[in-house]
Amino acid sequence: MTTKKKAAKSSRKMSSRAAMAVATDEKATTKQRVKAMSQAPLAVCETDDNLQKMLAVVRNKDEAVQVRLAALDTLATAAFSAVKFESCRNDYIAALREVAEDPSQEIRESALGLLAGEKDPFVQKKMLEGLKNPQKALVPPEKALQLLSYDVHTEAYAVARDIVKNPPSETAKQEALRLLAADAKSAPLFEKLLRDKDEKREVRQLSASALNALNPDKLQEHAREILLDDSEYEDIQATSLTALKRFGDEEELSKDKALLKSVDRLSTEAKSAKYKRSAKQFLQTYVDKDKDK
Amino acid sequence: MELVTAPANEEEFVDLVDGLVADPAQLMDLLREDHPFYNERGAATVVHMRGWVLLGLVRAGAVSDDTLVFILEELDAGIDPYLVAAAACALRSYPQPNSALAPFVMRALNQIRYHDDPVSFLGYADYSSGPESTSPVRELLLTLGWLGPHARSVLPELESIVKSGGLSKKALADANRTLEIIRRSEQVEENDCCKLPAGLASRFSWPGKARRNAESIGATVFEDQDGTAITFNEFFQGRPSIVVFFYTRCDNPLKCSLTVAKLARVQKLLESHSLDEQIQTAAITYDPAFDLPDRIRRYGENRSVRMDALHRMLRTTGEIDPLRQHFKLGVNFIESLVNRHRIEAYVLDSKGRIAASFERLHWDEQEVVDRAIEVLDEKDEVTSSVAPRVTSSMLATLASIAVVFFPKCPICWAAYLSMLGIAGVSQIPYSPWLQPVLVVLMIANIVSVWLRGRATGRMTGPYLVTLGALAILASKIDSGSLKLAVAGIVLTLAGSLLTVVSSLNSRDSSKTVIC
Repeated sequence: MTTKKKAAKSSRKMSSRAAMAVATDEKATTKQRVKAMSQAPLAVCETDDNLQKMLAVVRNKDEAVQVRLAALDTLATAAFSAVKFESCRNDYIAALREVAEDPSQEIRESALGLLAGEKDPFVQKKMLEGLKNPQKALVPPEKALQLLSYDVHTEAYAVARDIVKNPPSETAKQEALRLLAADAKSAPLFEKLLRDKDEKREVRQLSASALNALNPDKLQEHAREILLDDSEYEDIQATSLTALKRFGDEEELSKDKALLKSVDRLSTEAKSAKYKRSAKQFLQTYVDKDKDK
Repeated sequence: MELVTAPANEEEFVDLVDGLVADPAQLMDLLREDHPFYNERGAATVVHMRGWVLLGLVRAGAVSDDTLVFILEELDAGIDPYLVAAAACALRSYPQPNSALAPFVMRALNQIRYHDDPVSFLGYADYSSGPESTSPVRELLLTLGWLGPHARSVLPELESIVKSGGLSKKALADANRTLEIIRRSEQVEENDCCKLPAGLASRFSWPGKARRNAESIGATVFEDQDGTAITFNEFFQGRPSIVVFFYTRCDNPLKCSLTVAKLARVQKLLESHSLDEQIQTAAITYDPAFDLPDRIRRYGENRSVRMDALHRMLRTTGEIDPLRQHFKLGVNFIESLVNRHRIEAYVLDSKGRIAASFERLHWDEQEVVDRAIEVLDEKDEVTSSVAPRVTSSMLATLASIAVVFFPKCPICWAAYLSMLGIAGVSQIPYSPWLQPVLVVLMIANIVSVWLRGRATGRMTGPYLVTLGALAILASKIDSGSLKLAVAGIVLTLAGSLLTVVSSLNSRDSSKTVIC
């Protein structure tokens, strides 16, 4: 029986040890190996030999990228069980740092993502370097910002603010805003963006969400004004309505005649049925509440 | 102590630290969390900077009692692999291995073993993973080996870790070597077994007169977990308080989360002593811009903290700087976010002044409560105890003198009182029962000075008073011995005075290191 046949046979119903053998067998096909990888996590840290073989696949630039990515996934799954993975962690982190500068962008991003999840200082340093000096960047700015946002304690706020001012792309700007959503000093920036009708909808919705986390009272204020503004976009009004419904003061809302009138108009005139429904639900909650009293 | 020029970047910081190897005092100063060099740096950068300072101390051969607390702090509550590894490495340069250090190393090993990332000491912020690299677990194992016989107490725990099969291949080899060293080492005699060095400064106490007043922050406005505004003076004046600092975004479970959970246990202890209405508690956030009332309330609720009028979670509504300066908080920031902080708990007296602080190492709930009870008890002492103490001492001394001059018969009594005729007391009848009362008062004075002498450790006063009393009694037996009577009075007066002065002086000694 040839290696391929053996591998094909064993890959149908493999024990994790058998899967490990196929996953690290260079003679098996890419498909067989990728499939075997998904069944290998339990065996990967059973012995040092298994670990080193799997890490060798990740490091080997001559291997197919799919196989290397599958090996990274296998290791990440195994690492999820911190106690069982204790003896393997040191070599695993060292290997990830090694391939974080791999020529393959997919491998780089995968390794950097896994390290960033561990709040690894090496990744933070590389991401900040890349944002300050794009020639050194290992990943696009939006990805770097996303990876930095895993840890609020990085030095990324100043860089993110610069990106919001001069964004290299719309995606980068949005990622920068997501990162700044944890920065209390950025609340005024989010207020400004929320009220700016020239901003993209995504940016304004993101600003509403950030403002709710940083200064909920301000969001209530702006949400009310947005709902009172006839020239405001429906979807932004609907977001404001949701914010008021979830976080607003019930007592005050049920007494706010001007606001209830605006919501009533939205419930009949909105183009989207979804927004009409949302407005009606709001009125049912607050108008009825007022009547009950 | 401030350095002349602040480094503009990390490269300059490295040069500066390397240059300071010749000046360990300046180097040690860089371990203060609130050092301006750490302003506006990311947490990861601060980790590298502090790690480099620890390694600088090793190179300088300057790891001493003064620096030990910073090293133990990292082993006690550190979760960063690089800093824990650097601390373990630095401990091996401490000149006096001691059994008290082994539990710190073992605790760090248990805490960091699931985050045993590769670290490198080859250069600043180096990430090389070659054979020269190390790891926190390997450094801690080497340190246990360095402790050798002093690590015998943790041998079973270490054996259990090795048996669990959790260590990496490299770490396992190190662990087996360490076990071998500890097993082979001969038992050592330690005079101060299991005691940390006396100079290890992690708990401080200030007697009443040495306490700084809280005027500078009296008007600071806080908001509690329900959004209720209250000033420092309104909340902290009137009864003693136990205060801890925290912030909800702290990612070290051994610091803020544990501190607030321990505050909840402190509250339970106060309740069990029925002191929860007399001693209040507060947890104040370092991050008031982000930690809004709702956030701190949920953080407290999740850790079973009691929250009411006397027990509050607080945030300042303005800048945190005045609070930072008053408490001399061990914290630093990047923008409004904490980049590094120490563990810190305080006991405030009823005037809001700091009476005690517990810093860096994990504090014991009972110990903090006991200190707060002492502060509660001193409430009356501070305000009114000094004058009565002197007065009672003088009255008891006068009793001794009265025993000497007490008249033997009604005629002598009348003669004595006629001399005091202008005071209008000449009509008081002769009272023979007064003599035993005066003797009892004299004995009470002797007991009192002995108790005070034992409390202050100064026994000259009690000896003099006792001798004086014996002389007075002897003079009463030998009725003609005036010399004995005078000697008794002088000795009693001198002894009583000396005891009172010693007692007052012992209260005035300033900041005291408890351990």
